[in-house]
Amino acid sequence: SVPPVETRAPPSPASRQGQQALPPASGLTTLHWDSDPSALQLHSDSDLGRGLIKLAMAKVTHVDFPPREMVSYSKETQTPVMTEQKEEDEEEEEMAPTEPVPETEKEKPAQKTDEEEEEAPPHELTEEEKLQILHSEEFMNFFDHNSRIIERALSEHVDVFFDYSGRDLEEKEGEIQAGAKLSLNRQFSDERWSKHRVVTCLDWSPQYPELLVASYNNNEDAPHEPDGVALVWNMKYKKSTPEYVFHCQSAVMSVAFAKFHPNMVVGGTYSGQIVLWDNRSNKRTPVQRTPLSAAAHTHPVYCVNVVGTQNAHNLISISTDGKMCSWSLDMLSQPQDSLELTFKQTKAAAVTSMSFPLGDVNNFVVGSEDGSVYTACRHGSKAGITEIFEGHHGPVTGIHCHTAPGPIDFSHLFVTSSFDWTVKLWSNKNNKPLYSFEDNSDYVYDVMWSPIHPALFACVDGVGHLDLWNLNNDTEVPTASITVDGNPALNRVRWAQSGREIAVGDSDGEVLVYEVGEVRLVFPRAVSIYNEWVSANWPAPIRIMEQEPVCQLIVSRHIYWQATVRVI
Amino acid sequence: MSVEETIKRIQSQKGVQGIIIVNAEVLICNAGIPIKTTLDNSNTVHYAGLIHQLVMKARSTVREIDPQNDLTFLRVRSKKNEIMIAPDKDYFLIVIQNPSE
Repeated sequence: SVPPVETRAPPSPASRQGQQALPPASGLTTLHWDSDPSALQLHSDSDLGRGLIKLAMAKVTHVDFPPREMVSYSKETQTPVMTEQKEEDEEEEEMAPTEPVPETEKEKPAQKTDEEEEEAPPHELTEEEKLQILHSEEFMNFFDHNSRIIERALSEHVDVFFDYSGRDLEEKEGEIQAGAKLSLNRQFSDERWSKHRVVTCLDWSPQYPELLVASYNNNEDAPHEPDGVALVWNMKYKKSTPEYVFHCQSAVMSVAFAKFHPNMVVGGTYSGQIVLWDNRSNKRTPVQRTPLSAAAHTHPVYCVNVVGTQNAHNLISISTDGKMCSWSLDMLSQPQDSLELTFKQTKAAAVTSMSFPLGDVNNFVVGSEDGSVYTACRHGSKAGITEIFEGHHGPVTGIHCHTAPGPIDFSHLFVTSSFDWTVKLWSNKNNKPLYSFEDNSDYVYDVMWSPIHPALFACVDGVGHLDLWNLNNDTEVPTASITVDGNPALNRVRWAQSGREIAVGDSDGEVLVYEVGEVRLVFPRAVSIYNEWVSANWPAPIRIMEQEPVCQLIVSRHIYWQATVRVI
Repeated sequence: MSVEETIKRIQSQKGVQGIIIVNAEVLICNAGIPIKTTLDNSNTVHYAGLIHQLVMKARSTVREIDPQNDLTFLRVRSKKNEIMIAPDKDYFLIVIQNPSE
């Protein structure tokens, strides 16, 4: 490139126009470079062959060029005033954040003002200005008035969007199934005491509704550990360890809280021994045991129950050889009374389950291994088995008499579950089952009526299903059903006294407590009776909505009309 | 009762996610400036500006339908939450609540 040479006149842009500079007045030949490097011209007046150059005044034209425009892009976007542009905003958002350069929090987002006001400079609010506003009277007036309104609006929680068809529930996560009727609340197991054992029995405490006792059989992987374990679990607290740990030498097949002795837990074992644990003692072993003699039981005891009243009660136990003993809890050294349950004096009933109707201490029903169900009574000239009910094709695993209280007496009804994949509904006035529920495809291990709902019962089977049947809804399929993860065999089902929770014991030593989401209580028409009962028995807060008499419980040929009350 | 205490009380209500007080004046071009807020700065500024425009539009709608009428309260219910706006001549009180919490 051409090095710049000092010339007389500073090269102006005008010179590029081809302006010729005036030659020096002295006449000396000078050489000067044309400032345009692409053309070098040597002006010389002694150029051979050229004559004198004629010089004239040149006209200077002034041209003004504006400075070169610097194109720059600002990083802010203006949220447009026009509503049509709102969709574009979402795309633009990722490209450019909508905040101004935030050095101080007082800086005003200038871009946010309407575009019509572009000319006005953005006004910043300093902290002092803000404080001033906050303390001004008009602000206080505004705030006082409007905060009141907002607080009222905030506290209203009316969900106007609720869809009774349940369609909007389908969009939610898959855990909501069957209309959110059954949901897992707690799961209890203990690494040392319940793992590798099967839950053989469950019972809720009559005195403390949050306590649940579970009995377990032996742990084959740990032969040195006690064969029989009973754990008392607590629903009230979040801790995952048992409240009490009890054990004994023989596998516990049945367990119950002693109804009128809140500190005692009764267990029936595989060896035939009945054991009594006391939570007042510091021992984990039983404080009392029945003798292993022919006077007591020599076969596994699958049923233990305390029946009677505070002043006159007995512990009833039945073993699989058909022997029924009644004991006093103060003295377990010998039974107060014993009875052989034999059908027609020849066939001893191999009893697997028993149930007493509500309020009855004399008559009861038992289910046996050969599939037959018997009614029996404890006292009187005809003590022992009264009648046989045949219908099941496999061992009866569970039996339960109807116990829901109410003005209509359903105590003649009972349900049974069996290995023959069915649950059957019976009336003790009828030798044949009233109805057979055949939705299961595996052994049904246990069944229990709801303590508060006369048409509801739960059953569990060997592939992890917990089914709730509502006879008012459907007798073909369960109203609600849930499958336990891993499909373990569910051995036991027990409703809590509130009727809102169900405890299930499985073959892996786990006790699962499910909450029943929606319960429609069924009551006869007398509004006053159920208002009273509900407020006495239902945990607050509740709201009773009266509906028209809607459902009917059909049993044999009688139709019972009842009014439905929804408690929400 | 002081402004601070009231704001604290509102904030302690079930599901309240944030409270913003915004300056409403349109003639002065500091409209939509948050005066007090419980949210972080960027969100506050975002909400303040957007809601300001929304309220202006809502108010003009109400006024156009009936010039004697005026906007008193605005509730924007969305899938995830609810924005309640109590507008005034000079200021707006905005509360964002998640009612399912």
